[in-house]
Amino acid sequence: MQSWNDIINIALLGTAKKQPDTGSLPGPLQAAAGTVLAAPETDREEQFLQLAALVFNYRQSGAMATAGGPSTMTVCPPETKTYCSATAIQALHHTLDSENIPLLTLWMELCTRHQQILPPEYLPRILENASRHKSLRNLAAACCGKRGEWLAQFNREWNFSVVADTTEEMWENGTTAQRLDALTRIRREQPADARALLQATWPQESAAVKAELLGALSTGIGMEDAPWLEALLNEKSKQVKEVALTLLKKIPGSSLHEQYRLILENSIRTDHKGKVTVTAAIPPDTEIFKTGIDKLSNNARVSDDEYILSQLVALVHPRMWEEHFSASFEEVADLFHQQKTLKPFVPSLVQAISWFADEKRALSLVQHSDTFHMTLLPLLPADQQDTYILQHFDAHSSLVMNYVGQLQQVWSEELAMKILRFCAKNPYTYSQRTMGDFITLIPASVKSALDEISAENENYQTYWKSISMHLVGLLQIKTFIQQSFTKNS
Amino acid sequence: MDGNNKTTTSLDLTEEQVLAMAPDESSRKAGKELAKPAKWVSTGFSEAALWGECQGSGSKPYQTQVDTGAMAFRCSCPSRKFPCKHGVGLLLYYAREKASFIQQEQPAWVTDWISKRTEKAEKKAQQATDAKPVDEAAQNKRQEARHRKVSDGLDELLRWIKDLVRNGLIGVPDKGADMCENMARRMVDAQASGLAAILREMAEISYYSDGWQTIFMDQLLRLYLAAKAYLHQDRLEPALQQDIRTLIGYSQSQEELKTQNGITDTWLVLGKQSTEDDRLITERYWLYGLTTRRPALVLQFTIRHQPQVQLMPAPGSCIRAELVYYPSAAPMRALIKTQQAAPADHQFHGYDGWAGVLTAQTQVSSQLPLYNDQVYTIAALTPVQRDGQWWLRDEQQQEMQLRPDFRGLWKLLALSGGEPLPMAVIGRETHYEPIGVWYQQAYKVL
Repeated sequence: MQSWNDIINIALLGTAKKQPDTGSLPGPLQAAAGTVLAAPETDREEQFLQLAALVFNYRQSGAMATAGGPSTMTVCPPETKTYCSATAIQALHHTLDSENIPLLTLWMELCTRHQQILPPEYLPRILENASRHKSLRNLAAACCGKRGEWLAQFNREWNFSVVADTTEEMWENGTTAQRLDALTRIRREQPADARALLQATWPQESAAVKAELLGALSTGIGMEDAPWLEALLNEKSKQVKEVALTLLKKIPGSSLHEQYRLILENSIRTDHKGKVTVTAAIPPDTEIFKTGIDKLSNNARVSDDEYILSQLVALVHPRMWEEHFSASFEEVADLFHQQKTLKPFVPSLVQAISWFADEKRALSLVQHSDTFHMTLLPLLPADQQDTYILQHFDAHSSLVMNYVGQLQQVWSEELAMKILRFCAKNPYTYSQRTMGDFITLIPASVKSALDEISAENENYQTYWKSISMHLVGLLQIKTFIQQSFTKNS
Repeated sequence: MDGNNKTTTSLDLTEEQVLAMAPDESSRKAGKELAKPAKWVSTGFSEAALWGECQGSGSKPYQTQVDTGAMAFRCSCPSRKFPCKHGVGLLLYYAREKASFIQQEQPAWVTDWISKRTEKAEKKAQQATDAKPVDEAAQNKRQEARHRKVSDGLDELLRWIKDLVRNGLIGVPDKGADMCENMARRMVDAQASGLAAILREMAEISYYSDGWQTIFMDQLLRLYLAAKAYLHQDRLEPALQQDIRTLIGYSQSQEELKTQNGITDTWLVLGKQSTEDDRLITERYWLYGLTTRRPALVLQFTIRHQPQVQLMPAPGSCIRAELVYYPSAAPMRALIKTQQAAPADHQFHGYDGWAGVLTAQTQVSSQLPLYNDQVYTIAALTPVQRDGQWWLRDEQQQEMQLRPDFRGLWKLLALSGGEPLPMAVIGRETHYEPIGVWYQQAYKVL
């Protein structure tokens, strides 16, 4: 409105510099403005304020809407999945109130598993949570349905919310996280197909995406992957080369692995009396030092040669020793533990089992050794993990506590009680936050037994009580979440 | 989370509505923590009340109770917040799990409180009838003294305004905040607290954002018009005189208003806005009469950490209430004379589009040139984005701009999905802010 702009201009400059006039005033105001300016006793400021008030009232009495111009807004396509039940929503309220991410993950996993989606009003809160917690993003995309994807186009922070109903769709149209997820899934069933998919799009991917997607090949990796990975060592990107090198180290039989094996075979031998001798036979022109093997030991008690060999032992598949010594793995394990020359390499052997995710030998080793090897825990069958932890908990409590949160299955009641008793002894280390992190692993059945646990230290009792009450609340929510989907599935 | 199902009270609040009643974020959070069965030693309800005993840190549980008819509240905890976290927790627990509450005889502590409330109400009514005759001479003297004080203050304000426009506003961004704050203090001294509030708003303007000039000038002209109108009030209609006096800062006796007959209707609470200025919390409740089709604005003022006097209805809920409008050329502000909870009724009534809104607004402007934000319900508005701005488009493709500081954009968009929705908006002229939408026959507060 020109007349209002003129008022603002005069006001900015001041009436001392610019006099008010009726020039730009609309017709209906001219007569009134003329009266204001013609009044003999009013000063210039008064005249201006009266004119300004006139235009102000004219403006606010005759505001007009703007004729809608072109907009790129589209209407959200209809949903293909059903909304979750009112009970599930109630459980979601409790979950969001608890601000517990593992419980929110559980809720979203169940929602996705039941092929359900969230009603629209909850989407902003879930998408906001997912933008802050990367681990929730793929689940959020699934739970928020088409409306979530539609909404996310207006908020850059939510651009992970692409709906993809099938694995193929996820690979073709998804975000990098979704594509990685899809590739890992395909890789699990058909490793060659997954590799072929990645090879097909490889030239179009950026270096960062290449490095991220290449990581999917660690699932089901084998000799068939070696030629391509070896070719990738010539890629421009350092990041990609590092991932390819790491993957190659996981392939027994790859040229890299064979180089390591050969050095070890020549260095570690058995004499005619069955005694194992260790003499580092490292060729001077070897290329292994370009593959991440360090030359110098940083421990005065470990020689450089021993240090190099220990790194190689950790990167060579443990079955090599069975062939090398013509012995069973149990016999190999005994040799490593009993022979003075091999004993320093026991930790590397354990690392090798872990590196190649060798479940069979992991189980064998823990059954034949009194030493606690925490790194082998994830390779043990679920039921054995609990037993193994229980067996060594008292001696290695703090160490075990670092791992128990990573277990994939719900703890047994016996293990849960043992862990919670330990927490009660150290409530300032294992606080409400710890309970929040562990909540999906703690069986609901311990709720009734929690009263049996109390802090031995009198000073800790009140604090542990509040932690315990917090845990009860979380367990109630967890049960409610599970029931809310079970009842309505 | 299970329980024996019994009948429920007339209280029909959703979780969102209860949370909207909480005085602040920390009460909301603490209330959520308390909305669990494990926290309550006992709970129950009767025809008149809802109650619970909450185990706090002390040996004796806190006794929390709600008069469900008059929406009054009390808790034995020492908190000055209203409702306190126990109140929010109890109402939230009830909203979530009504089945866990069993109808039973009121415990003595609830009965005592309800009876005292009834007695107090009766006493008050009696006092009103037996009120002492007013000493009119003394009253006139007091009024005259205040009028002189206000008039002197307004003369000074007008001089200040003239000085400003003479020298130009170009230098205002550098000294605006202090300059306005100083004049606000002067207006407080002159007993013109309403104008002081406008000046404080001017001190808060973001002078480094585009468009500050119009915002400043609008407020300056409001001051000018209010001052001029007050000094010439004898030439104004009585209702407009009252508006001007309110704008200056004269208060209206609520007790006196309550003696008048009001308008009884079922009112849908469309939304609530809260602002805080120097410990004074102002809550604005926007209501809509489902039969009378009238909007109303109920204000509640509280000082932080001081107990509130009345538990206000939850946004999105319905109340059966008698409202008395403050005298005005375009009545909007009202007070609740009596109220009781009413079942949710989310039927929509309102304008077809912006054309109707603007006609109504022009009508208001013609009667009350210094009008404030109004509330409108509009049948079908679609949020659309154009040139980086958000607009609300009606069925006739007419658009009004969404206020840039609108916080509920994502919820609005999520509910809309690009489709038009019936909407309640607050605003005036060309900028509006939605406060709620009708989504699948239910009113959702944004």
